[in-house]
Amino acid sequence: MNNSQHPIARKTGLVVQEVPDEVLVYDLESNKAHCLNQSAAMIWKSCDGNNSVSEIAKLVENQAGGKVTEDFVWLAIDQLSENNLLEKQMPSTFEGTSRREVIKKIGLASMVAIPVIASLVAPQSALAAVSCACNNPPNCGNAPNAGCPNTTNCNVAGLCAP
Amino acid sequence: MTHTQQLTDEYRFYLLRKRYAEELIISAFRGLRRNGIEPILIKGWAAARNYPESVPRFFGDIDLAVLSSDYERAGKLIEGENLGGIDLHRELRHLDTVDWPRLMSNSEIVDLDGESIRVLCAEDHFRVLCVHWLTNGGENRERLWDIVYAVRNRPAEFDWSKCLDVVSPTRRRWVIATVGIAHKYLDLELDGLPFADEAKILPTWLTRCVEREWARNHEIRGLETQLKNPRSLFQQILKRIPPNPIHATIDCEGEFSNGPRIGYQFRNMLKRLLPSVRRVASAILQR
Repeated sequence: MNNSQHPIARKTGLVVQEVPDEVLVYDLESNKAHCLNQSAAMIWKSCDGNNSVSEIAKLVENQAGGKVTEDFVWLAIDQLSENNLLEKQMPSTFEGTSRREVIKKIGLASMVAIPVIASLVAPQSALAAVSCACNNPPNCGNAPNAGCPNTTNCNVAGLCAP
Repeated sequence: MTHTQQLTDEYRFYLLRKRYAEELIISAFRGLRRNGIEPILIKGWAAARNYPESVPRFFGDIDLAVLSSDYERAGKLIEGENLGGIDLHRELRHLDTVDWPRLMSNSEIVDLDGESIRVLCAEDHFRVLCVHWLTNGGENRERLWDIVYAVRNRPAEFDWSKCLDVVSPTRRRWVIATVGIAHKYLDLELDGLPFADEAKILPTWLTRCVEREWARNHEIRGLETQLKNPRSLFQQILKRIPPNPIHATIDCEGEFSNGPRIGYQFRNMLKRLLPSVRRVASAILQR
């Protein structure tokens, strides 16, 4: 594991909403929404390109008030990278070990909640209220009456995004 | 997944959508102001300000009204800034008859993440919300909550006279009837409203139309957008014949009396026929 790496959180093409205990992220490019728990959010925010993995571990440890190992940070980075929330993808550092095993190992040693990034599935009712109901994305925005703001704002399901 | 989890995810999505819309609003205001255009935000986000925090108010596009002479330039700027999701209005068109300078001087500034966002004053916006709801033929039950919360959570200094006495008696009656519909179907309390008794008197055609639209449960959409879906196209044609009496009355600046609507519906049909045919023909030719 190279703990001198300096991950950078992706900033562009994302809608970020902080709520108590979690950070919600909508990826405008992939039309995917994620929910970062507090630990994952703290690590993500610390990925400024200046902090190394070791330094991020120390920062999060200070904020969370419990022991945070570098494996703990890597677990978050692994998920951030997988969900395209970093500027540059970082290769998985847990090769040969399943994430479940890593979580078990970290979880037993840590007093801080393990970092989790959950994918949000769009509730149909939420989208229905804003749906442009196009048959396919190119139809979106063809007419103002369709209710869809424009063609670029339509996801693959023919619904206004996000 | 439990019911609670579903609600939570729905709320999370709502928060993300709201955030996205807010970023768009800020970008649009900055972009237009940089070029000397002062927009007014109407409907959507502005209406959502009246909702309790726990009640999501979903909105699709961002409605910005600009001075008529700025409209073309504003459209180009919005396009240039690649701000998808902005619905630009040439002043308020049919939505209100109060002139732009007066609306502008009545308007208010609200803070959104440090950006000053211009919205209509509560009295002017309330008229706009009512007329907009009626323009859509009363088909959107969800949007009637805009009226409920705008009344329930109106500012302490809200002046009904400033809202109702600045437009024609016909439009005044439209607004009061909309409040009456919100009272009848969504239990909006009328106590203390200066027109409470008048609001309870609703023409039969009006309530019938609302009930029929809600039972039908499909929104009006451009015919040209439904060409690939014959069933939906058929539904949309049926929805237009005869034209929605509420929409037709509003479209013809008609009164909400007990009289028949057929004259308004006929005029509305004639008015819409040619543009509809043009749009459908153009969509067919483009395919």
